[in-house]
This record gives sequence, structure tokens and C-alpha cells, in this order.
Amino acid sequence: MTFFNVIRWIVWKDLITELRSRETISSMAFFALIVILIFSFSFSMDQQAAQEVIAGIIWVAFAFTGIIGLGKSFSTELQNDCLEALQLVPQSKGAIYLGKVVANFSFIFVVEILLFPMFVIFFNLDVVEEISLLLLIFFLATVGLSAVGTLFSALTVQIRAREVMLPILLLPLVVPVMIAAVEATKGALNGDPLTMYSQWLELLAVFDVIFTVVSFWMFEFVMEN
Amino acid sequence: MTAISCHDLSKSYGHYQVLHGIRLTVKKGECFALFGPNGAGKTTLLKILATLQRPSEGRYEILGLDGLKERESIRANLVFLAHGAHLYDDLNAKENLQFALALRGQTPTPRDIKLALDRVAIGAFAEMKVRHFSAGMKKRLALAKAILAKPKILLLDEPFTALDAAGTEIMRAYIRERLAEESAVLMSTHDHDKARPVISRAGMLRQGTLREISIETLKADDLF
Repeated sequence: MTFFNVIRWIVWKDLITELRSRETISSMAFFALIVILIFSFSFSMDQQAAQEVIAGIIWVAFAFTGIIGLGKSFSTELQNDCLEALQLVPQSKGAIYLGKVVANFSFIFVVEILLFPMFVIFFNLDVVEEISLLLLIFFLATVGLSAVGTLFSALTVQIRAREVMLPILLLPLVVPVMIAAVEATKGALNGDPLTMYSQWLELLAVFDVIFTVVSFWMFEFVMEN
Repeated sequence: MTAISCHDLSKSYGHYQVLHGIRLTVKKGECFALFGPNGAGKTTLLKILATLQRPSEGRYEILGLDGLKERESIRANLVFLAHGAHLYDDLNAKENLQFALALRGQTPTPRDIKLALDRVAIGAFAEMKVRHFSAGMKKRLALAKAILAKPKILLLDEPFTALDAAGTEIMRAYIRERLAEESAVLMSTHDHDKARPVISRAGMLRQGTLREISIETLKADDLF
């Protein structure tokens, strides 16, 4: 019971501090907006080319926006040495990990939901029929990104060049998630039958499980050392 | 009965040896003060005993539990009042207490929280964000956490720093209360005048080596 209480309290703390400071979501949204604007101007003359690369553009924006949020996840614990307090929690550190994953997922997913309409507008996308599938793809890919990103956020938080090290370490690991997300998003945006790209959704689900289990197991080691 | 025992604890950072063969025993109901100049290794020793760092050599036991193997059980019985106070700036005083205690598996009632905040004389600031607290108020709030936690082992890193005269007396009253409850207290301090009324034994940590000193003849000039 205490294990789930720790998860609940970590999520509560991260959400309430973010609601009050708005540091993470505002910086994520601002960055993503700039990415959308740059790409939309780059492809403004060639809608055909834009349609072919839009899935990649979406996930470039979401991945780098997510990394901004993940970077802040544990750096906020450095204020007043709060990271020490988390280390001193007399429970399995897995509960802290899962709480952080849920909070990070919430921030990234909210930003994705807020920003996707911008893609629809700027790139003139027709997504009405595929919206539930797109949301499922966003959900699965964001779980994978949050699961492994939370671990690496904790791993790099004490490193002086953590802002540089986090993307360097994280991006190669989430390449499979990003490839699967791009392919599934492309299929959904093209209006292809689900059977043509359902294998990418399955792959995302498998990666989510693997990344979450392995990261959960490794988090204890990271926090204790 | 022994609450804290260190057996030849050493700690090195690369080639720099911070602690060298520390042997220390603190009994239940006893307050041991660590004196020593800056960089002597006082905070490092406290962090090892708080299970935040691992010694390079040696071993230690807290309440009979192995410090290297039974860390979670030790943490459940211990409070470490550190320099950083372990407080979130965007939470208010009440929320900080609720959060910290919840992570320890404790659920203080609103009345408990009010009493603890009143006891450290910051009850009027219960709803204020910690971001707006002074260093002394943060110290008092950290003390309120310890009051609610009722630990069997209390580790204090410079407990009187940033506290005014009233705050110092509140801290000393709390230490006396823990000692009466048979808790063991280990503190590092530079302020021997403020610490003296509550300490049972003392040691001088210099260049990583601990030597026990008499508190009867304790004078500031002897310490530094």
C-alpha cells in the first residue's frame, strides 16, 4: 500500500509544483511552437513534400520537447537537496521511478495534445477519422519516451553537463520507439488500413513494456549509487 | 544499548582521503557532537551514517542493522537534518510536511501538522510557499518534519546555523525530548556554546581522524 502511496504523492508533488511554476510545460510548449513554425515556413511552398515528411516532423518536435521536460524532472530535485530526501525514502525506489514516469508522461502528453492542432492547421492535415488512432500512437510512444527518459534524467542529474548528456544518451536508445512512432503516424495520416501499420503499434507496446521493466529495475541502482 | 557503531570507517574521493579509520559508538539516549574545522569530514561521516554515501572501507551499524545491507530499514528509523533542508520551494509549509511524511509511510493529521508548526513557531506561515521563507524559517520547517517523524536516530548537520536565540532553544528542546525518548543524536557543529547544554559526549574530527574529547573542559579555543 505504501508503494502506491509513494507513487501517488510523487505525482501529486510534481503536478502541483508544475501547476504553480509552469516552468516545464511553458518551456516545452515554446520550443515545440518554434519547431512547428520553422518547419511550416520551410515547407510552405511545397505541400506535397510536407505531407511526406510530416510524421517525422511531428516526432522531431515531440521528442525534443519531451527531452526538455525530462531534463527538468530531476534537476528540480536539486533545490534544497531534495534529491537526498528521495534517496532517504525507506521504500523501494521503484515507486519514485513510477511516480516520476507518470508525471513526465502527463507533461509530455499534455504538450503533444496542445500542439497537435497547430500541426493540423499549419500543414493542412485531415485527421478527423484517424484522431483516436493518432492519440493511441502518441500515448504509446510517449510512454516509451517517458519510461527510459526518466531513468536517464536521474542518471545525468548530478553531471555538470547534464543538459548535453541527456539527449546524447537518451536519443540513441529511443530510436526504435521513434521509428515505430513515425511509421505508425505516417500510416494513420495517410489513411492506410490499420492492418498495414498495426505491427508498429505492437512494437511500440513491446518497447513500452521492456523499457519500463528494465528502467524500473535499474532505477534502484541509479538512486543508490 | 548501542544505537550507532562505526568500525574503522574510511572514505576517499579519488586520492583524497576524507575519513580515516573512524571508530565511534553512540548509545541510545546519548547526544554525540562532532567538532572540527571545515573540510574535516563531519558532513561526509553524517552522510555515510544517513545511508546517502557508502564508505570506502569499514562498516557501520545503526540500531544493530548493517549500514551496507539493511539501508531501507535504517532509513525508516532515521532523520537527517541536512544543510539543504530537503524542502520544495513551490509547496507551502503544510504541503512540504505532508509530502515528506507520506514518503516515510506516515500520515500526520492536520492537527499534528498544526501542532508541529506551532511548536517551531511558524504556524502563521503554514500556507506560505517555502520559496518565500528565510533560511531560519526553512530550518524550523525541517525541524517540524523531524518532530512529526519521531526518529530513533537523529543526525544533525550544523543544527543551530541560521537559527535565532528562540529557534536555538526550540532545537535544543527537541533534542532533549528525543534523548528522553531514548533516541540517539549525532550532530556536527561549530557552535559549542549552543550545543553544550544538550551534548553527552563530543569528538574532534581533524584531517579525517576522530578523537574523543571531554565536554567538561570544552572551550571554543580548544576546538579550532
